[in-house]
Amino acid sequence: MRLRILRILVLAPLFGAGTASLFGQTASKDPASANPYPSTYKPLPRTDTVITDATILDGRGNRIEHGSLILHDGKIVAVGTNLKAPEGAVIIDAKSRWVTPGIVDPHSHVGDFPMPLTADDLKVNDVNEAVDPNSAQVWALHSITAQDPQFSRVRAGGVTTLQVLPGSTNLFGGRGVVLKNVPATTVQRMEFPGARASLKMACGENPKYSYGEKGRSPASLMGNVAGYREAWIAAQQYRRKWDEYDQQKDPKGEPPARDLKLETLAEVLRGDILVHMHCYRADEMAIMLDVAKEFGFKITAFHHAVEAYKIADLLAENGVCAAVWPDWWGYKMEAYDAIRANAGYLEAAGACVMLHSDFAVDAERLTVDAATAMGAARRAGLDIGEELAIKWVTLNPAKALGLDDRIGSLEAGKNADVVVWSGNPFSVYTKADQVFIDGALVYDRHDPHRRPQSDFEVGQPASGVRP
Amino acid sequence: MKKWIVGIAFAAASIADAQTIAIVHAKAYVVPGSPPIANATILIRDGRIGTVAADATPPAGAHVIDAQGKIVTPGLMNSGTELGLVEAGPADTTDHAVTTGTLGAAFDIQYALNPNSTLLPVARADGLTRAVAFPSASGVPPFAGLGAILRLSEGPDILDRPQAAVFATTGGMVSSRVGGSRSAEWILLRMALDEAQRTVASKVEARGDMREHDPLLSRVNIAALLPVVRGKTPLAITAHRESDIRQAIKLADDYKLHIILCGADEAWRAAAALAARKIPVVLNPFDSTPSTFDQIGARLDNVAILQRAGVTISFSVPGVHLSHNAGSIIREGAGIAVANGLPWDQALKALTVNPAKTWGIANHYGTLEAGKDADLVIWSGDPLEPVSTAEVVFVQGKQVSLRTRQTELEQRYSPKHKNDPWPPEYR
Repeated sequence: MRLRILRILVLAPLFGAGTASLFGQTASKDPASANPYPSTYKPLPRTDTVITDATILDGRGNRIEHGSLILHDGKIVAVGTNLKAPEGAVIIDAKSRWVTPGIVDPHSHVGDFPMPLTADDLKVNDVNEAVDPNSAQVWALHSITAQDPQFSRVRAGGVTTLQVLPGSTNLFGGRGVVLKNVPATTVQRMEFPGARASLKMACGENPKYSYGEKGRSPASLMGNVAGYREAWIAAQQYRRKWDEYDQQKDPKGEPPARDLKLETLAEVLRGDILVHMHCYRADEMAIMLDVAKEFGFKITAFHHAVEAYKIADLLAENGVCAAVWPDWWGYKMEAYDAIRANAGYLEAAGACVMLHSDFAVDAERLTVDAATAMGAARRAGLDIGEELAIKWVTLNPAKALGLDDRIGSLEAGKNADVVVWSGNPFSVYTKADQVFIDGALVYDRHDPHRRPQSDFEVGQPASGVRP
Repeated sequence: MKKWIVGIAFAAASIADAQTIAIVHAKAYVVPGSPPIANATILIRDGRIGTVAADATPPAGAHVIDAQGKIVTPGLMNSGTELGLVEAGPADTTDHAVTTGTLGAAFDIQYALNPNSTLLPVARADGLTRAVAFPSASGVPPFAGLGAILRLSEGPDILDRPQAAVFATTGGMVSSRVGGSRSAEWILLRMALDEAQRTVASKVEARGDMREHDPLLSRVNIAALLPVVRGKTPLAITAHRESDIRQAIKLADDYKLHIILCGADEAWRAAAALAARKIPVVLNPFDSTPSTFDQIGARLDNVAILQRAGVTISFSVPGVHLSHNAGSIIREGAGIAVANGLPWDQALKALTVNPAKTWGIANHYGTLEAGKDADLVIWSGDPLEPVSTAEVVFVQGKQVSLRTRQTELEQRYSPKHKNDPWPPEYR
């Protein structure tokens, strides 16, 4: 059964990245710049909190023993030792426990590939607009099932921010969205306010096989690249038309016709939308770096970058992040050359590396994935400790989402997204005890009232009455 | 440390098979589930375990490996993989499944096993020395065919035990293959078992006039079920929903079958019934989510609840890691089960003696007791922790290489070659 899901998710093309949330910088009067689906997120009720006597990994490469952390009004106000607790604050004694920034998953399908799957989902699902290789017009935001029970599962794994992306059937999958992992009845209440929009693109086998088998282009890797180039040429023309219109002092006449597909791509060319690209192989990533230069846009990150280690220096030079798994390999040809030291080798080359889940089950324990990658890096001769490896699931993905000024590390002024772990988060036995988002305790393993369940799970006899 | 391991590898390669090997200073989990023997000396001779004794001096002339106080366990076993049957994606064939034709219960994967698959060294390097290779679909559902037990030794022969079980798959997501209803799955299973019982009763094996027009009841497919209805070969049934699990139990009662339950996300709801009948269960310890309507009751402590009830449990993890990370994924899965209530020593049993019993190879594998095949692993640390690794692996008394395609690529692309002007292909 799971294998069938696997075939949908992996063997059949599904993965991709998408775009993020909504406010692009307003670089033009092009209506694309406005966000018609704005965030209505409000932090949940919060109390000032002091976490004491913890082993703190701050996400910036530091490890503080017997450290404290002060959360005030949704922000981190102090990190260190011997801090004085403000009056009235709730004190959490974290003796022999560990504290890290909230986990950031840069590649999730929670919400746009919701569980449970039904027989219909095996034919058609919300994660891919699988009818045309260019679906830059769609937004993952519009596919989110807010009651997907996977949100609570990954929250219990410490995930506080996630980028939900369209799948990888298409060359241009559509826009992704960055969410705060709070229970909510509407997706707008989860949208990360002010997060940059993103575009999911895909290299490789998935677009090629999806359309080639239907007798359509792309039917080869070269067909993939032609498909990108044709779209970017059209986007350049579209952007020019709108720029010319906008540059008139007193715009007269009909504005150019809007095209949702080209609107997304034009925003990428203007630098307002970040490109997250599913790309396994080193040779394809290198071609894509040239395509980006040809049309003057930037690729923020390659996802599923199984062969990133082969071009670690090139990625570092170009300032492109790589989102990787610790050990996935071989389930298709483009994943055949995976190595477990991938993350470590990227780190050694000075590249921005992060881990991502793709499957929610991995997001339930991204720190254990980090442990797997860290162990492999050490065996390959690299000196990588927990204080460094935690960046792979916190600050580096925050950077790739353009949110590292707000989340990803424990430092004064940043959002109070914090996880208190029962022990070393790199151990398989460790669990998240408490998870804070903007200072609100959104999950507490020991308090049944702080373990929210989705509506789907209510009143299900199958999950009730535990022995 | 690294050099020391490499040293062993080279030394072992030059040893004659008949020589005694002594692993000294081991923290030896001789019989998983029982406390380890500290400072143990483990003797290996002719592919088998000799004696295991605390503080014993190795015999003169033995090749000695110093475990330096580290954990030594039996080699691990995965209760459900497609090892030997898959390579990269579909490659050229789908040896683990047929979806057309007339082979049902008789579809047998043993003829497709590839001992040169690149997956096998990866599994060995992760401490796996035995595995179930199962068929995932046949042309006659709900039967999937005959699975085998693999011995992950180097060399051409990896078949430990062929035809170890007949596999069948039930439940919502596969019911389309039988017309859409899960009732049809159970009816078809019963029709085939009825025919097999009639064949046994008539004392005429493989009647020539059997309904050849119906593949379900064809001579070859019914012949594969004769050992099942005689109770000699287990029927391994994949089922998640409680109702299907209870149908499987009823099937075992009605036909006096030896069944093995696989998947079983809602098995905790039938723990007492499974324990009472001694039905072993193969679980995915990662399942926590209602992935389908059959799995609404999925929960992380399913493993612990079943073990406490007295059920023999072992692991298989469907998904991308099913075969490609067949060793590391069940170690991590066992760790997750421990994090959710399974005692550590029971987790080690679920990786060794339990699957050995479940799949009928406990007479020669599963513990480090005298006479058993010498499958063992020296671990760098706790084998359930993802940062730990297998440092020395023996399969049937032979130390195996821990080099894989992946470690070769790691060497080729190591940062230490940064200033080498020649392309990696020259390394």
